Amino acid sequence: MNDVIFSSWGGKVVDNRGQAKPGTVENLELPLQYDGQRLTGLMSWKGLVVTDDKVNVIDMAHAYMREVQKLSCGECSVGYIGVKIMLETLTRIISGEGTEGDIELLLRLSNGIKGNTKCDFCALAVAPVLDTLNNYRDGYTRLIASKGVVPKSDYITRITSPCMEACPAHQDAPGYIELIRNRRSAKALELIRNTNCFPGTTGRTCVAFCEDNCVRGDVDKPIAIRALKRVPADEEMAGDTEPQFEKKSADGARVAVIGAGPAGMAAAFNLGQMGHQVTIYDEQSAAGGMAWVGIPAYRLPRDILARETDIIKKMGMELKLNTKVGRDITLEQLSRQGFKAIFIASGAHSGRELGIEAEAELRDGGVVGGVEFLSRVTTGEQKIGEGRVIIIGGGNVAIDCSRTCLRFGFKEVNIVYRRARAEMPARSEEVEAAEQEGVKITFLAAPVKIVTKAGVVTGVECKRMELGEPDDSGRRRPVPVEGSEFTIDTDMVMSAIGEKPDLSLIKGVSISTTESGTVVVDLASNQTSRPGVFAGGDCVTGPATLIEAIAAGNRAAKNINQYLRSGAVAPSEDYVIESWLHDVARSRERVGGIVAPSGRQSPEELATLDRKQNFNEVEQCLSPEAAAREAERCLRCYRVMLLVTDSSN
Amino acid sequence: MVSLTIDDRMLEVEEGKTILDAARQTGISIPTLCWHESLSSAGSCRICVVEVVTNGKAELTTACNYPVEAGLKVSTDSETVREARRLAVELLLAQRPHSTIIQELARKLGVEQLGFTLTQKECILCQLCVRVCYETVGVDAITFMAQGRDRDVAEPVVLHSLDKCIGCDSCAYICPTEAITVDDVGDTRTINTPGGKLEFKLKNCSVCGKYWAPEKQLEYIIRKWNLEPNIFDTCPDCRE
Repeated sequence: MNDVIFSSWGGKVVDNRGQAKPGTVENLELPLQYDGQRLTGLMSWKGLVVTDDKVNVIDMAHAYMREVQKLSCGECSVGYIGVKIMLETLTRIISGEGTEGDIELLLRLSNGIKGNTKCDFCALAVAPVLDTLNNYRDGYTRLIASKGVVPKSDYITRITSPCMEACPAHQDAPGYIELIRNRRSAKALELIRNTNCFPGTTGRTCVAFCEDNCVRGDVDKPIAIRALKRVPADEEMAGDTEPQFEKKSADGARVAVIGAGPAGMAAAFNLGQMGHQVTIYDEQSAAGGMAWVGIPAYRLPRDILARETDIIKKMGMELKLNTKVGRDITLEQLSRQGFKAIFIASGAHSGRELGIEAEAELRDGGVVGGVEFLSRVTTGEQKIGEGRVIIIGGGNVAIDCSRTCLRFGFKEVNIVYRRARAEMPARSEEVEAAEQEGVKITFLAAPVKIVTKAGVVTGVECKRMELGEPDDSGRRRPVPVEGSEFTIDTDMVMSAIGEKPDLSLIKGVSISTTESGTVVVDLASNQTSRPGVFAGGDCVTGPATLIEAIAAGNRAAKNINQYLRSGAVAPSEDYVIESWLHDVARSRERVGGIVAPSGRQSPEELATLDRKQNFNEVEQCLSPEAAAREAERCLRCYRVMLLVTDSSN
Repeated sequence: MVSLTIDDRMLEVEEGKTILDAARQTGISIPTLCWHESLSSAGSCRICVVEVVTNGKAELTTACNYPVEAGLKVSTDSETVREARRLAVELLLAQRPHSTIIQELARKLGVEQLGFTLTQKECILCQLCVRVCYETVGVDAITFMAQGRDRDVAEPVVLHSLDKCIGCDSCAYICPTEAITVDDVGDTRTINTPGGKLEFKLKNCSVCGKYWAPEKQLEYIIRKWNLEPNIFDTCPDCRE
């Protein structure tokens, strides 16, 4: 809660002007400082907040409209021309050239824009200007009458949207969707690559947090953002053109990155762009990390990933494959080789054990780890599959294993999951696709023992479960039903109940780890307990998503760059403000306004019969027509926030 | 068929039609500017706004791209609608005061005086040219360069690509504000666009000698329809 002089935050007006002391506003937890300066005011789609008399709200309204004008796309007359005229009018007013009718004009324009624009942006953007007109009208009148010129202030601008905040990498989805709509693929890709160097990969496999927080989802169905992202990526590939990147400088330091997965590659790409010389070490024979070993080709064809890692490499980095840090070279050796910073992004590839009877002695016999199996398929070590297989687990790895097993010739593929369908962490589309292809799922059952005959697996003994109270994850806890044991016959057991990092690389090095076996870092700076050594991605978070790893890599690169150039590892002011913004900008408010119904476009899929015997890509790219129709559905929910501090005026 | 109400009149309309289609079918007039019967709707000029009642609340929307729904209640002439249209046309007129089509619209909507002035632009960004080039001609030579974050334009503009443009002049034909015009002089066609002039060599007729169409356009037609390469050596007047 903050002390304020005036607030229209969340549509609720709190006016303490003329009071002896400022009052408070509920549900507003402003960061109090920015860059060492006290925050004195802010203007945003959620309203206006003033904590110091020095803030000139009319000047702020002008500065705000200047930012709004830059983002107003030009696709509709009322939004584009209306905002332009509002800005020109406000410019006149703060320059001492305002006229009496200007206030009425601004009121008419902001009300008109609010009611009749093509997308949501300008309509939502005029709200705080209306707040100033309604609550500071005397100020406007006095300024216009006095012909005074308002001294210039500086403002800090933040641009966001609910989808951008939901995305760990804050990708500019409204921006690239609009470029796709205008058939400007190359520019769209350029924009995507600013925050995501894997457009084709994530365009196929991303879990799309953005879609879960898409405002259009409250109207009918969310925009198919993931599928749209794939469109320009595929187009670039079909056109056989390669993007050109610019190195911003070449005066950087040498950095070692451990792990060529999404986090490591994203960090290397950004560090390269910032002028550093990066060497990446990876134990696998190809780059891509979990995207390479863990995502089956029917979801992510190998040539797509290979092309994207090749493009990233062009930023200028050395990639040392088949080199495991901790086995082939130690962390200490890397430090001695003159690397000024080390980024650990080694992922989480070790499968967790089931911890049941007979498991240990059958490892790699009739019992295998899920990720290990997928990895063996990728590298070609797994030749054939036959007979029956039981996969334990309910996450994406379990589903990937099941669909891969079907394609590998296993006759019966059975998933055993201890909770119910609703609790499955796997994406529901993936679960449905697996079932369509013939995977059976036994819900509410947990393995207790592996049944063998003469040392060969013949089945899994399971116990029935029922759901109890919710646990820490918010999902209902499975509780065993006594005396409910039953056996499912099988020739092979696969455990896919989660992965953990392989931390052998930091054995004997003083780097703190958590009880659950992940690397401890300072979340704001990515630094581990050892100065100059940073970490990010799955080895810090435990198994998470591609886009979270990419975001971790991007952020780590910024922090490592700051460390290399200034020695500082403190959280940047940006981090402070962005963490706060992350909380407030996720909300999906609209100004209202009716949206013409238009159905979500879904990519075509291979028919079940055509796909379950092979590794051909199941989901196809949206057609140009479908992509245009889909992009047209975007409500363009950009939000602008302006901050002003003590030093600004 | 879908039944809905427009201005208190019950109508039956084919599914998939827009409010604009439905209104015109019954003789209710809704003004338009960026709409064309042969092209998709953009909803960009905001002139065709109507009020639609949803959940008991009346909201403005564009009639040109709103599909009819059963039970829809639409009013095309409420005071809110009239004010929204007036504002839209005033804004357009501020941008392009000399356009006769906008002047005419303003007169019809009862706009007498402009509340504001603006740096004049020829183009009102209605994108009719973009749509005709992509949807009808099939060339996609005109790009709408929207303004926005990390964009390469200082302000939105429609841009012709000389590489792709075939000089057919459909854009000039459809442009409501004469922001795009065409001049044929001698053997050269010049298309004047907000982004600059584009020149095309015209082909002359082997019989009468008249320059009659841009060579690039004829080559495009021959390629597209797989025609005899010399089919356009003579102009339509001299052809059998």
